[in-house]
Amino acid sequence: MRRSRAREDVTGWLFVAPVVAILGVFLLLPILMAMWVSLTSWNGQGSPFKSGVPFVGLENYGRLFTRDDLARENFMISVRNNAYYVAIVVPLQTVLALGLALIVNSRLLKGKSFFRSAFYFPSVTSSVAISVVFLFIFSNSGALTQLLGFFDIQGPQWFSDARGVIHLLLGMDTPPAALAGAGPFGLSWWEWLSGPSVAMCAIIALVVWTTSGTFMLMFLAALQDIPVTLEEAAVLDGAGRWQRFRYVTLPLLRPTMFLVLTLGMIGSWQVFDQIYVMSQGAPAKTTLTPAFLSYRTAFRDFDYGAGTAISFVLFLIIVLLTLFQRRVMRERRV
Amino acid sequence: MRKLASTFTGYSILIFFALVFIYPFVIQIANSFKTEPDAAASPLSPIPHPGTLAGFERVFSGTDMPVWLGNSVLVTIVLTAGRVFLDSMAGYALSRLRFRGRSALFGAVIAVMAVPGGVLFIPKFLVLNQLGMYDSYLALILPVLVDAAGVFIMKQFFDSIPAGVEEAARIDGAGAFRMFWSVVLPMARPALITLTIISFQGAWNEFPHTLVAVQDPALFTLPRGLADLVSGSLGGGTQYPLKLGAALLATIPVAVIFVIFQRRFVRGANEGSDKG
Amino acid sequence: MKHLPLAALGVLALAATACGSGFEDKPSAAPQSSGPASLRILIASSGDPETTAVKQAADAWAKASGNQATVTPAQDIHQQLGQAFAGGNPPDVFYVDASRFADYASVGALEPYGDKISNPDDFYPSLRTTFTRDGTFYCAPKDFSTLALIVNDGLWKKAGLAASDVPTTWEQLTEAAGKLKAKGITPLAISDTRDRIGAFMVQAGGWITSADGKQATGDSPENLKALEYVKTLLKDKLAQYPKQLGASWAGEAFGKGKAAMTIEGNWIKGALKADYPDIQYTAHPLPAGAKQGTLSFTNCWGIAAKSASKTAAIAFVEAMTKADQQLAFAKAFGVMPSRQSAKDAYVKEFPADTAFVDGAAYAQGPVNAAKMDSVLADFDAGLQQLTSQDPKALLARLRKNTQSALGD
Repeated sequence: MRRSRAREDVTGWLFVAPVVAILGVFLLLPILMAMWVSLTSWNGQGSPFKSGVPFVGLENYGRLFTRDDLARENFMISVRNNAYYVAIVVPLQTVLALGLALIVNSRLLKGKSFFRSAFYFPSVTSSVAISVVFLFIFSNSGALTQLLGFFDIQGPQWFSDARGVIHLLLGMDTPPAALAGAGPFGLSWWEWLSGPSVAMCAIIALVVWTTSGTFMLMFLAALQDIPVTLEEAAVLDGAGRWQRFRYVTLPLLRPTMFLVLTLGMIGSWQVFDQIYVMSQGAPAKTTLTPAFLSYRTAFRDFDYGAGTAISFVLFLIIVLLTLFQRRVMRERRV
Repeated sequence: MRKLASTFTGYSILIFFALVFIYPFVIQIANSFKTEPDAAASPLSPIPHPGTLAGFERVFSGTDMPVWLGNSVLVTIVLTAGRVFLDSMAGYALSRLRFRGRSALFGAVIAVMAVPGGVLFIPKFLVLNQLGMYDSYLALILPVLVDAAGVFIMKQFFDSIPAGVEEAARIDGAGAFRMFWSVVLPMARPALITLTIISFQGAWNEFPHTLVAVQDPALFTLPRGLADLVSGSLGGGTQYPLKLGAALLATIPVAVIFVIFQRRFVRGANEGSDKG
Repeated sequence: MKHLPLAALGVLALAATACGSGFEDKPSAAPQSSGPASLRILIASSGDPETTAVKQAADAWAKASGNQATVTPAQDIHQQLGQAFAGGNPPDVFYVDASRFADYASVGALEPYGDKISNPDDFYPSLRTTFTRDGTFYCAPKDFSTLALIVNDGLWKKAGLAASDVPTTWEQLTEAAGKLKAKGITPLAISDTRDRIGAFMVQAGGWITSADGKQATGDSPENLKALEYVKTLLKDKLAQYPKQLGASWAGEAFGKGKAAMTIEGNWIKGALKADYPDIQYTAHPLPAGAKQGTLSFTNCWGIAAKSASKTAAIAFVEAMTKADQQLAFAKAFGVMPSRQSAKDAYVKEFPADTAFVDGAAYAQGPVNAAKMDSVLADFDAGLQQLTSQDPKALLARLRKNTQSALGD
């Protein structure tokens, strides 16, 4: 009996060996290597693990927060941009996904599967290809400008417009004296409070458009799990449509909601493909994000230490926010 | 009467959103067949006037499209086959074989799914470089040859198969691999098809990994080539029919599979999403 | 089972050390192969004509010398080279943009072979300086370009302007632009980067760094005057950025007839010929401010310090930088030869290019210092918003950032 136990051990590990090996070498090992590189000022020449590579301790991290220079400013701008991006993308795609799921799930309508597929299709296509299409749609003489023209609206020059949306809404070009001064981490309060730029809004529109379909499917699956009898009981109790949604459907969707919000947040903090293809951080750095900045810092500026440090800080941001979100959702359940 | 009105509203909303979600593709297709002045003058029109294949001709003559296509096909086939095979093997073991460390390993797989890929660009480059694999087909393929989500999907599936089947085969004295290969796998067809589809889609669309795995243009896949065509320094001139045409070629294979296997796609999305 | 992951990790680390390139690589020079070499050449091509011309020249050289040469055009050469250097397997020969030269040289990626090329003093002195670091002349200038004022003759006439109205000073530029604007024509398309607007700084008598490249001089009153002038042009819509005109660069806006003037380099000739063959235009020296000024751009033929065929690579560069080969390139894709001995032949061949060639005498080259890329990108970001920003604050930033990059 003992021998067969040992044999099962061997068989089991043989079955999982390829997966373990590949994930180990290309996921775990790189993270350890990168931790080392983030403590050095390796310039990309030769191996980062030879003896001559200068060890700088936590300087690459400290520089992102404490030293008053361009590196910190770029990092803070990228964090600001991404924070606004997440703050808009996540709620918007969640609401849109839920709304679409509710309509598609409605029992009165025919042709559901067609609409379901139509909404889901953008999610399965190549992010690069879709970015190209949206570049065209948002170009200055592009489809959207023309469409707005039909309604006599003069559209902005999307990808060259670096103005912040909050600044625009306030109708202010220059900062009021109270906000012009230096704020936290080297950016003025005025800069922190810019809102996403017009160019970033175009990217936000693209991302919401592509990801809503996936999240709609998740909501749809959860909606289909809600027993019909529960709804019927609510109808018998005289509950209106809104009340049914608010007190029956929504509470049952809570786990899915948490999943959608978490996945949405994790995904949108790492936005990269669209930035790389559409704007590369321009105009005026307003579409710079930490993921893109870390890539650029390493591969264009040869500052691999700083680049990996940015990656790890981004990782930390994502972990902390996920934990925070989990906590908030849990408290509300009580 | 009220019911009629609400049905009407429901359809109006549906159709409005269906337009929003589909029309960009119409624009993409239409404009890739337009001349450049036409695309600039009437980008919204679904009908090219006059229609032309000039954009596509320039895609094939002026860019490395044949190379990109070839690489994409090769990489996608290998990745799909590898993922389906290796993921289902691991999923099977995690579900059915009782070996020491199994639950710890399953925990690790879940943890791996939670690691945000967006922070792994430089680390992946470092390891490829260190192993001397950078800038090769191996670098394009090996690091993404398995994916934790696929393992998870397959494990969930095998969990749902009753254990009796294997008991019958075990009496025959079939070896573990033979049992997996000729008894269990054939039963897993629905799950395998789902996994194949999402692996294909993931592999065909893969972009950021190619950015840190290769720099030789002879090794570019379609998304990589397309990205550089649009954002690179050769992007002088707007040339939208050409770019949209190239993007269309990148969209078609997944679109075809999607239309054929809609239901599987839907299922795959939901199963993959349970990962958290 | 708790220790299992740790143990596995140890094995992995060992495995990684054992195979692959190893953790300790030798600092000694790259091993040189003997026999016929197979050179890999990476170029940042301006378009098909350049790619074809360089490929032909490389083939001819390969045939004559018994080596092999493969030319690859890069989509984004900075990125490709950056990864290739780190990957330890860079191409043997590649274009090095003057603005990136210091970065590559400072990390030891470039072979300093400049003086091994025959007659190095024949290269324009300003180009030699551009590719010299710490007294070492690294690499042979490939060719160069300067900026000039390009005028659309058709629109010019349409606005009722004569050839004598082509501006030679800032005042005349403002005046001519005003007349064009009154006729509903966008006067000037100018790209939103220091590589164009910087010309005004030079004309005002300023620049980003001091002549020796050691001091940050971004906030000088001359620079301020230049930016304020450009800001006025933009505010009064006498000048527009290409994106405002729905174009990806100024040459496209100019080619489409959306602006009567633009400030571009001699590469615009090829682009216009290819995309907008019908347009009639002339090139003139840039209008002078306090003095005559323009910017020059250049690439050198970089050779990788890690190349295994340096001798063949140097022979290749030697062939590519010969005066008659450079003239052939000039004919093919409109660059100007980097050797002074080719100047007369060039002017004779292209009399319309006098404005570009003459620019060599008073042109300012790119900033020659490492770690300046992000500083200049930041300056560009500011220039993109010039109309809504305070030029003084922009320049103060520029000085501060330059200072910290130079100080490092």
